[in-house]
Order: sequence, then structure tokens, then C-alpha cells
Amino acid sequence: MRVVHYLNQFFGGVGGEEFASTGISSQEGAIGPGRLLQKLLGEESEVVTTVICGDNYAAENLDEITEYVVNAVKAAKADLFVAGPCFEAGRYGVAAGAVCAAVSAQLNIPVVTGMAEENPGVDLFRQEIYIIDSGANVGAMSEVLGSMAVILNKLNNDEEMGSPEEEGYIPQGIVRDAILEENAATRILNMIIAKTKGEDYKSELTQTAFEPVPAPPAVKDLTNATIAVVTDGGLVPKGNPDNMPPIAAEIWGSYDIASLDDLEEGDYEVQHRGYDNRHVLNDPDRLVPVDILRELEKAGKIGKVYKEFLSTSGLANPIANSRRLGQEMAKKLKDAGVDAVILTST
Amino acid sequence: MVGSNRVVQGKGIVYPLGDAEISKEDEKELRRSIVQDALDALTTEVEDQQ
Amino acid sequence: MELEIINHDIESMVFGDTTGLSGKELTINHDELKTHLLEDRRIQDIDIQIAVPGESCRIGVVFDIVEPRAKQTGSGSDFPGLLGPFAVAGQGSTHVLRGSAVTVIDPSAFPGITSKMLEMQGEPAAASPYGDLCHLVLSPKLLDNSRRDAVQNALRMLSVKASVYLANVSQGVESDDIDIYNLDQSDTDSRAGIPRIAYIAQIHGHQMTVEVDEPILYGSNTEGMMPMILNPNEILDGALVASYWVMRVETYFYQNHPLIKELLRRHQSKEITFAGVIVTVAASKETDRNRNCMLAANMAKSTLKADGVVLTKYGGGAPHVDMGETARLCEAMGMPTVVQVSDSSGDRKAESAMLFNYPEVDAVIYGGGGDTGWDVGPPERVIAGTPEVAKVLKNLTYIEGGALCGVTNQQGASKIRATVY
Repeated sequence: MRVVHYLNQFFGGVGGEEFASTGISSQEGAIGPGRLLQKLLGEESEVVTTVICGDNYAAENLDEITEYVVNAVKAAKADLFVAGPCFEAGRYGVAAGAVCAAVSAQLNIPVVTGMAEENPGVDLFRQEIYIIDSGANVGAMSEVLGSMAVILNKLNNDEEMGSPEEEGYIPQGIVRDAILEENAATRILNMIIAKTKGEDYKSELTQTAFEPVPAPPAVKDLTNATIAVVTDGGLVPKGNPDNMPPIAAEIWGSYDIASLDDLEEGDYEVQHRGYDNRHVLNDPDRLVPVDILRELEKAGKIGKVYKEFLSTSGLANPIANSRRLGQEMAKKLKDAGVDAVILTST
Repeated sequence: MVGSNRVVQGKGIVYPLGDAEISKEDEKELRRSIVQDALDALTTEVEDQQ
Repeated sequence: MELEIINHDIESMVFGDTTGLSGKELTINHDELKTHLLEDRRIQDIDIQIAVPGESCRIGVVFDIVEPRAKQTGSGSDFPGLLGPFAVAGQGSTHVLRGSAVTVIDPSAFPGITSKMLEMQGEPAAASPYGDLCHLVLSPKLLDNSRRDAVQNALRMLSVKASVYLANVSQGVESDDIDIYNLDQSDTDSRAGIPRIAYIAQIHGHQMTVEVDEPILYGSNTEGMMPMILNPNEILDGALVASYWVMRVETYFYQNHPLIKELLRRHQSKEITFAGVIVTVAASKETDRNRNCMLAANMAKSTLKADGVVLTKYGGGAPHVDMGETARLCEAMGMPTVVQVSDSSGDRKAESAMLFNYPEVDAVIYGGGGDTGWDVGPPERVIAGTPEVAKVLKNLTYIEGGALCGVTNQQGASKIRATVY
């Protein structure tokens, strides 16, 4: 197997932090950890090219180095691609994750990297690639490389990948069913007894860390501000012109309220199956408060009510999809000069 | 709550800005106060989730 | 409070001249049962069939499944407050026709993502506890279908009436197979140092409006309900039935509540002391939710003196958030918690499943079912409420785990776990 290996300036033997701005380059053959890696992969495997890049340079030029790496992998006619392992080094982890994801997506060959769970590269890329949990201790290098080699071989041979515990990778967050001997009641009791006694237990689901969204600065002057309303309660005009589905909507709509002083019963319907919608149907202002906002606009307390309300169905809507919907809605409103949004939800 | 920095409590799942069990005038007053809470939140600087 | 369950195993169910129990065979006089059920004048007609394990038979859309049970005469009230007069459930003796079930079809329901079906043959049957039971399947035609809640009330009454009618065959019949349920905690000395575990159980969610005539707890519709303490025996003995709209809960698994039975079992073996059950609802209004969560957590701490708490929810997303908040408060009061969540990750990603983000609520049992399903063909027999539904059921080529009763279950019965890879 022909392998290309990505390393930072330190593991690539260039030097320490002082060399973090070193640009990206390639060399023939294995360097540093790459030598052990090719041994672990077996006789028929060889690191044909090692790409080395300074952590700062990578962080500041991520697109450029990603393209460089993809080209290098192509040029080497590589079968496998490895980055790191990066342990706790954050810039390195983000770069390693990015290049692995790109190589995998564009060239469709097995890729793997390794880093500590807290490494920022994890949350960014764990769903797209396998990341071995290396922990923080660089002394574990050979074990970590060993686990990485196993992953590569399994991917290469199209073997079924085991659980995170079995294979040593950081959970990708993909959910699969397992049929057990014991029922949920038994598992619940086992876990509560362990937890109450202070013993070890393993939760079947762990928190996903969500990137904190920094709070935008407050609106300085409401009397000059344009306020928009967005809802995920599925309120749409009667007839549902955009065919909004009642669950896990992948679309959103914008509906004209420019000439309206309030929303009236009969003009709207609700595309959302997760709540009893009769009260909102009786008076849609209960979900999208046009009446009050118009009052405030007329009294000069707010500058303007944006001419439309935006709506989607939030029922059972996966996070990745919701993120995209939110980003699209935000862009439209920002481009239209809206200063603040009231988002209503059931 | 996850992700949003300014969160204002609505009245209920089936009527976030309303209440079907009170009179129309009272309900409008309730909606005014919830919207006002929202506007107050928008004009307040926040560091963390509130 | 001590409950004696007298088990009578049922291995076959047939129609015959006289309703009665002979060994492990239950014979049902079809016309007598029909006459009895048609006493409810809302019901115009009723189709009564029997479906047994291994048969090529598909049944839907299911309203509810109830185990045939009847109080030994003089020993209490059947489904008190709902069918029988008020009496505290969970005491005296109750006859159970174990291995059988009354399954009521909802004539107004159409198969969809939350609809409930039964399959009596093949892999799907093997995956559900209901595949092992003999079912008396009731498919009624209502005189007036204009009000949904009135239809559902008729279905609810049908389910419990039929359950009692069947179980009455075993009045006075002795059995060697007796279970005693007794949450005796008086042996305090021998229980020193054993963790006290309380169970906070949601029994309804008010994101859908509560119907006036929707009996749930001792016949009450739980409108305005605040948390309350029940003896677990009450739940096992007819105080509680499923609501009209719910996924993954059947009355059968209140009567056979897996989590309560497990808590009682470990109580007997002194691995834990079962501190008690608090039943609560997932409220619709924010103020009610905050009040209920606070009260439930506090009751577990102050009244039940729990060291740890297990929680289950009733329904989908909003009740899930409710449960998370209650668990958070329990943790804040020093009681570790375990919550059971359902697989609501529509995109099969764990990030979409959690819905709440409290670091201290970190012990989660993750019920699966989202990617379990089976390829199926047309069954020989379909029991459905209307010809249209029968056609849809007959032509199914794939059944999702979540669409089959008993496969994904919020009462602790499920054997499918969602594993995060």
C-alpha cells in the first residue's frame, strides 16, 4: 500500500514552535512517526511521501494546504492517507482533520488521524473521518499508531468497523441499533445502582459539545431598528404554497405581512405535528405576534417590522439541517438590513 | 438551552405568545409583555446565555 | 399494601359454545361477548377475531393492548374509576390470563409514522413481546365518528370491558403460579446502607390537548395534575391506562411494567430499596412545567428520601425536555439520576438526539429502533378497521421497528439499544 503522511513542523523534524510558520512541503519517504507507521501497516506498505507544514501556516492557510495535500496524494497515487497523530496540539488537529476530510471526500481512499478528545479538530471533523483517541500523552505514540493502522486496514478491506470502545476511535456520533439480551429496565437499574454508589458507569449517550455562539452586541436604538419574526412552529399561509412538510422540514418560507396589522384566523395553517395547533389557528398572533409588533411600530417604539415573517417546521428536525436553515434565514435577513430577530417556538 | 444567548420564556407550548384561557384583552396585554421582554433582551448586552 | 397476582397461563384461544378456561385453553363465546360489548350504544357493530402466535396475520392500527385481568370477586375493583367503582388498586388478589391480550383497533386511524401494528409471524413477531401472545382483536364500528375523543373513549371502554370479561373465566380457579408484590420497607435495619431508588414516571404529556373524557389515572384525565406518589402496585393493578395519543406505551406494559417489576425485584433481593413511584405529567405551560419538575424532584428527596432517581418520559420531544429538567433538579438536590430517552435522531446522528444539555444528567439509557426494520410480504390475514387500511397493511413491503407495538417501548420493555458509533 502506498501511503502519504501529513506531519507538522515538530513531528516532521523541522523544529519546535519557533518554526510554526514554516510553509508546506513534501519529501519522499517516511519521516519520524511515519517510519513506525509503515512498519505497523505491514510489509507491503510504504510511506511514499511525507507532507510537512508549520502549524501556524496551516491554520492561516487552511484552504491552500488542503489543496496542496490532495494534490500530493494524487501525485503519489496513494492508497492510504494518514495525518498526525496530533495529541493535544490544536492547530495541528484542525489541519489534520481538514486534510483527512478533504482527501476522503475528493479521492475516496481510507484516511485516519488521531488526537486527544479535547482537541478542537475533534468536534469539527469527527463525523466525517475516524479519529483515534490518542489522549494527551505523546509517549503513547506507538499504541496510537497501532490503532490507526488497524482502522486503515479495516477501511481498506471494507471490513465492518467495531464500536468506539473496541477500535479506540472517538465516537462519530452516528447512531445504530443493537439488539440485546437484556431489556431497558435491567440496564436502567444497573446504571442507577452504579451511579448512586459512585461506581463507574458508561452512559449510552453522551453530550455533544456544541460550539458556543458568541452573543451579538445588543441593539442600540430600537426606535430605528428593523425587527423580524422567525418561527419554527410551522405557520404558513392557507394552502401551504411552498409545500412545507409538517416534520423535519428542509425548507423555510417567507410570508408577506407588510400590509397586515395582525394575523387572522383562517388565513393560515400549521405544518407542525408536534403540538396541538388549534390555539395558534384560532389566532396566529399567538405564534407570530404581528399585532403587537405593528402597534409598537406605529407608536414609534420600534423602527420597522420587517415585511415578512420567516417560517419552518422545527419538529424532529436534525441539528445539521436546522443549522443550515438558520444560516440561510439569517443571511436573508442580514442582507435585507434587519437588525434583530424574535424567534418563536412551541 | 443550547446555542441561543437571549431566551425569553413563552406562555405555553400551544400558545407561546398567548393564552387561550384568558380574555382577549388580557391575552393581548400578555402578548405585549412577552414581546417587551424580548425587546428588552435584544437591547441588553449579554456575555453568557441568559 | 400487598397484591397477589394469580397467573393462569394461556396457550391457545378459540371460539366456542361457552366462555371458559380449560387447562391452558381459553374458549370464548363470540356472540355472548359481542352482546356484552354492544351494550355500549355508541358502538354500532364489532368485528371480533382471534390471532395467535405464528399465524400469518397483520393487525392495525392498534389503539391499545390490555392484558385480561380481573379482581378476585370481593377483592377489589376492576380498573377503578374507569370501569369499576373507586377503590385503591394494588391490593387483594387479581387473576391474570398470562399469555393473552385484548387488542383494540382504532377504526379512524390511518397507518403513518406513529401508527401501531402487530405482526404475528416471522422476524417482526420475534422482535416484540406481543408476538408471543394470543390476541383477541376487536375492530369496532362506531355509530358516530364526528368527534374523535368520543370515538377514543368508546375504544378505551371496550378495551377494559373485554379484558375483564375474559379474565372472569378464572374466578375461583386456583393456580400454583402466584406473584406477590409488596413494597415493604419496614425492615429498616437490614436495609441500612442500601441505596434508596425512586422512580419518577411521566404518565402523560400535555403538548396535545387533554381530552375531557380521556381516562388515564383512576379515570382522571390528568388535566392540571401535579406530581403525586403512588404505590407501584397501583400501576400494576389497573389504576393507570395509556392515553389516547401516545407512541411506545401500551396499557399491557403498565400492568406488566418492566421497570417497576425490576425495581421491585431488586428491592426483594436487597440490592436497592425501592423508595417509591412519583407519577407526573409533562405540562404544556411553562409555569406548570417548572412547578411540576420542582415538585417531583423535591418529593423524591424529601418524602421518598431517595438516594438516586430513575426517570422515564411519555411521548416525544417536549416531555423529553421536561424529564431532563426534572433530572437536573434531582442532581442539584444531590440525587444521581438515570434517564431513558428514545431514539429521536431523525438523521441518525447523536447530536440530534440529546435535546437537553445538562452536564450533570450524564447517565442515559438510549432506547433504539430508528434503523431496525424488516422486509415483509403480504400476510394471509389482515385485521384492520377499514378496507382502505387493510389494503395498505397488506401491501407493506417493509415494517419499521417503531411502527410495531412492543419493539421500541418507553416503559422499559425494549431490547433494542441505540449505540453511538
